[in-house]
Amino acid sequence: MADTVLEVRNLKVAFPCPGGVIRAVEGIDLDIHRGECAALVGESGCGKSVSALAIMKLLNTPPAVCRVDKLWLDDLDLTHLPDRQMERIRGKHMAMIFQDAMTALNPVMTVGKQIDEIYLRHSRLSRREARQRTIEALELVEVPEARSRANSYPHQLSGGMRQRVLIALAFACVPKLIIADEPTTALDVTIQAQVLDVLKNMQRVHRVSALLITHDLSVVANMADTVYVMYAGKIVERAAMQEIFLEPLHPYTHGLLASVPRISDERQPFVQIPDAVPHPMRKPTGCYFHPRCPRSNDPCRQRMPRLEGPDDGRAVRCWHPLRQPHEVRS
Amino acid sequence: MTRNSPDPQPLLEMENVSVDFPVKGPYPFSKKCWIQAVTDVSLEVSEGETFGIVGESGCGKTTLANAMIGMVRPTAGTVRFQGVDLYALNPKAFKEARREMQMIFQDPFSSLNPRFSVYEIIREPLYIRGQASETVMKGKVLELLKLVGLDEEDMYRYPSDFSGGQRQRIGIARSIILNPRFLVCDEPVSALDVSVHAQILNLLMDIQKSRHLTYVFVSHNLAVVKNICQNMVVMYLGMIMESGSSDAIFANPLHPYTKALLSAVLDIDVTKPRDRILLKGDTPSPIDPPAGCRFWQRCPSAMKGCRTVPAKLVEVEPDHQVACHLISGFSAQQVADSLHEPVSPKSGG
Repeated sequence: MADTVLEVRNLKVAFPCPGGVIRAVEGIDLDIHRGECAALVGESGCGKSVSALAIMKLLNTPPAVCRVDKLWLDDLDLTHLPDRQMERIRGKHMAMIFQDAMTALNPVMTVGKQIDEIYLRHSRLSRREARQRTIEALELVEVPEARSRANSYPHQLSGGMRQRVLIALAFACVPKLIIADEPTTALDVTIQAQVLDVLKNMQRVHRVSALLITHDLSVVANMADTVYVMYAGKIVERAAMQEIFLEPLHPYTHGLLASVPRISDERQPFVQIPDAVPHPMRKPTGCYFHPRCPRSNDPCRQRMPRLEGPDDGRAVRCWHPLRQPHEVRS
Repeated sequence: MTRNSPDPQPLLEMENVSVDFPVKGPYPFSKKCWIQAVTDVSLEVSEGETFGIVGESGCGKTTLANAMIGMVRPTAGTVRFQGVDLYALNPKAFKEARREMQMIFQDPFSSLNPRFSVYEIIREPLYIRGQASETVMKGKVLELLKLVGLDEEDMYRYPSDFSGGQRQRIGIARSIILNPRFLVCDEPVSALDVSVHAQILNLLMDIQKSRHLTYVFVSHNLAVVKNICQNMVVMYLGMIMESGSSDAIFANPLHPYTKALLSAVLDIDVTKPRDRILLKGDTPSPIDPPAGCRFWQRCPSAMKGCRTVPAKLVEVEPDHQVACHLISGFSAQQVADSLHEPVSPKSGG
């Protein structure tokens, strides 16, 4: 078996609110192997970003309440690691790429200085050496004229350039795991293609594992090796990338894929999933997807199905999947 | 798809429209700069069609849409709606004409007043017009709520009670309450969840059919535009790069920018990998757009003359125009001019 870089068991995050508890993440398991890019796909509010923050231990507790049975990063046990020691892990062993580069970067510091900081903090380098490494890092993510760009402030760079700076920041110490939270959502299509290319290259070259968080299935199709589909705080399907696009098992995945308009389509009404995602405080009983599901019946309304399937392969959380996971195993 | 009966007079016609916005210079007391948001755009939208405007952010597509319905006054050129010059009308007649044209906004979270109930939001245009009684307005709002797929009980709830998709439905109901003929949809689904995109798009298409509306659909999603628009323009940095019927453009994209845009669209088709054209660099600033063709700095097949000679839209086939020197070539005069004209090192990129 390939070695596992990230192992998460039964991660739960809840936010107590006036009038109830929002269960944002309800017990998810993740396994990411070395050099692999896993994608966590879902719509807004399904808990994908909260999961990422919880893995980085970046959620403020309180208000959030986090529980996890097992959280291992390679050979490090982070399950009960206190904040102080997490500071040494973040940036060095795991790093995050945020969605909005304008708010993720410090507006009153040059981008070079922000990358220098990582080297100064996590390795014994002089300022001059750190700057040299910074320039190399910027060159790796294809920032033109890296030496002079290192002295610019974030607002002087374009959106695509800022996102590259974030990628350079995340890869600075060649961590074991990169979490990319919607890395290209704020960018235009042509720039998105450039940035994804850079991200993919960096991940391949350094053999870094990545957890890609996105709502955009086309990004998944171009980046990921494994896909986890999330709905209302639970993982509803897990599969290798090709499989999920060729043969989705969960009705939600199926509907999601069918509803994405494709360039190759003929002119016709779009396939739609009825209704909308349930409010996180008012999730339905039974399977969370049953009110929107074309295949739902009585058991769906009463009991939540389990995520079932072979341990390290396809799994689906559904009473009536399009096919059973073991049937499609090739 | 070609139009069934070519309308002698298009519903909306824009002729050489330019929109510039003044911006402060980089230093105090420095000269005022102008953002050239839209430059020399001419187009026609005919009755009953869906007209797509495609481009990346900052290319002027929203400004162009705003200029169509009288929200931004063009610095040059004319906008004719039903044959009447919109910006030559007196204020009263302008208001009258504006009723025929409405807009659906991109962000359903900021375009609805959070302190108004759904009823107040939807009836607002009627209320401002001031010709309908409360009962008439209520009946009308109810009818529209049903049309857009909301319930009667929703009438007195507030926008915060609704999901993004439902809010967009409220916005749609508000925009059609005055029975407009012309509706500008400015990225109507890009702020919504993926699983509700299809619902809203289908709703818009149904309304168009039942009410015989003409749509201008602003979007950066090429797959959507291909599916719903009959005619379209591709914009880059304030100018039209390619225009014509969407069938023609998608079947045979000719402008290098259109090609790059099409190939940059990530597809979820995992079975056949495609060769992608990756554009280098970023969109230049519209404050000081490049001379010549606006796209030459990023164009993979730019020629020397592209730097200095602006490209004009030329017809390559019926219903398909392209502004590119690769297609139109240079005239002998232009070639001679570009040879004499020294290319400044600054614009040499």
